[in-house]
Amino acid sequence: MNDLQAKDDIQFIQEMIERTRKITAGSWMFFLVWGIVAILGVAGMYVLEIFEKYSWIWLNWGVFVGIGVVFSIVYGKKIERLIGARTYAYITTGHLCFACGMAFCLVGFVFPALNLYSYGLIAVLISVIAGILVFTMGGIYEWNLLKWCGVIWWLGALGMVFIHENYRALLFIPLMIIGYIMPALVLRSMYRKERD
Amino acid sequence: MCPEKLGQLDPVIHSRIRLAVLSVLISVKEASFNYLKETIRTTDGNLSANLSKLEEAGYISIKKVFKKKKPLTTCSITEKGRKAFSKYLKVLESYVSFKK
Repeated sequence: MNDLQAKDDIQFIQEMIERTRKITAGSWMFFLVWGIVAILGVAGMYVLEIFEKYSWIWLNWGVFVGIGVVFSIVYGKKIERLIGARTYAYITTGHLCFACGMAFCLVGFVFPALNLYSYGLIAVLISVIAGILVFTMGGIYEWNLLKWCGVIWWLGALGMVFIHENYRALLFIPLMIIGYIMPALVLRSMYRKERD
Repeated sequence: MCPEKLGQLDPVIHSRIRLAVLSVLISVKEASFNYLKETIRTTDGNLSANLSKLEEAGYISIKKVFKKKKPLTTCSITEKGRKAFSKYLKVLESYVSFKK
């Protein structure tokens, strides 16, 4: 073996490892579904507020979050079968999503119900956690667009502070479109290009 | 490290397909036969033969199960395989840095 071969072997090992770190087929569906679920949840919440059905807002969120969770479990299993491997990146992402999901529930449901803070703060805290989720995923998969989406979430959280608390959650809709649905569509086109 | 150390390169790993298999398995918890085949871009027969050699050396473990009446082969790297791969990589890296 010569110097060139040794370098070539190291490069080959790096390339093989890189292939296992690619965002895999179907990942875009999680972003898209959660983006749509959250937008519908916010829209539902405002409709209920217009009709002054405040006690139904919890049910509204419960239903939409439930749909998202059931979809994630079922589709996650399907994707795992389809990929045929449990990469460490995939396992880490799963743990990250679960951890952020728990944080969303505590911050969005439990703490406000315990009167720890006003309801107006929910949207701000949720945006901060969404930023952590998206930014870290961008780090795991080395995808800069996702990291920027995370930054946009944090900027959105900051922007919410200057908006009247009754309208804060409305900022979720453009944030969801930029921070969740846009990467989903980019991922889908990347996956289709790769497949073709 | 002197270049003579390259003679210490593990002959079991020192093959393109087997090196590729270990490189993939080091970054996944477990992988199916098809995943390995697609990632490494090789044929069934070639992969199968190389997997057997790695299994014989104790570097990987192969699990064969049936899911919905379909055979499913999954592979994972063993501790021995992990150590051998790490040693192989160190020899390569030290050679490259020696040349610098």
